[in-house]
Amino acid sequence: MSDPAAGIPGRGDRTDLDLVARWKGGDERAAAELVERHAASLSRFVVSLGKRDDVEDVVQETFVRAFGSIDGFRGESSLRTWLFTIARRLVLDHRRAERRRGEQVEVQDGDVRTEFDPLDTLVADETERRMRDAVARLTATQRQVFGLRVGEGMSYKEIADSVGTTEGAARVHYHNAMRAIKEFLDD
Amino acid sequence: MTDCPNGEVRDLLPDLLHDRLPSDTRREVEAHVRDCEDCRAELELLRAMRASLRRGPSVDVAVIAATIPSYRAPVRRSWVGWRAAAAIMLLAAGGTSVALLQRGSVVSRDTTSVLAPVPQSTSVGTSTDSSLPERAAAVAPAACELALGSSAIGDLSDVELSVLLKDLQTVDVLPSEDDENTAGMSSALPTGTE
Repeated sequence: MSDPAAGIPGRGDRTDLDLVARWKGGDERAAAELVERHAASLSRFVVSLGKRDDVEDVVQETFVRAFGSIDGFRGESSLRTWLFTIARRLVLDHRRAERRRGEQVEVQDGDVRTEFDPLDTLVADETERRMRDAVARLTATQRQVFGLRVGEGMSYKEIADSVGTTEGAARVHYHNAMRAIKEFLDD
Repeated sequence: MTDCPNGEVRDLLPDLLHDRLPSDTRREVEAHVRDCEDCRAELELLRAMRASLRRGPSVDVAVIAATIPSYRAPVRRSWVGWRAAAAIMLLAAGGTSVALLQRGSVVSRDTTSVLAPVPQSTSVGTSTDSSLPERAAAVAPAACELALGSSAIGDLSDVELSVLLKDLQTVDVLPSEDDENTAGMSSALPTGTE
């Protein structure tokens, strides 16, 4: 195994915890390396939560908050899971704020719009378009769990921590999502 | 596309895809996949799905990294600070207690003015009227009962008040709480007592 993001050393990579320690020691580049390591997956996760606008702002706020309270991170979960948890809370906060302003931000289960709508014009491959349609038809929770399991390679424990559910529920959501995707693609 | 009946292996396919399996487990899963057409198909689907899912919105990593502040070690609260806080609390509590006690003494002044001087009247009475000590001693418990039975003079009934006043009139040597009046009283005392 060689997943530095998960805190598992391999092939000489520095783990997240190493980089955190270096940043605390005054190495600003360590923070930049952590951002580079996790920003893309965080942005995908934010999109999977139904956030279509201001994704970069949410990702940036997630990092600022995380680094601002890094001493609260005790390493019981991976840094990535911790970042995802912060991002999820931020999205929920944004959603509540938007609700107060009267904006419609409900993410409906079975929403046929894909979370990567702005990129649809770039999708030329019919197979990939169908895969995105299949994912878009999942429930919101199935979509999040499937994205973390298949897109990010997270364990059920990490998914449960990030999404705010149990390992068992995450496993069920994943297999239900997989079955639904297969059925859609077989039609 | 059909599902492999081996749910345990299917459950581990995303971990195989992301190279997150321990080496021994990985060898077992890979051996199964080699011989299982359903699992091979599912693994291919997962690989394609991963590629699709990973095409997300782009973010400017440099901009985000530039907003990360420098690390600041948490400031520990010193014992001096705690001591100062505790001292302030004690002073506040003490001040409140004194204020309450003073308020309480004003309320009970009416009752204590009846009771407190009794010993003095007894000493005075001995020089003028030998029956006063006994009377004062007899009155004092009654007044005490009346006073203590109520929180203040104002709480006494008319009957209780009249009884109390009548008894007090018989103990005319009682000094006032006032220092000036007490001084006056002492000057009026028979010279024989001094």
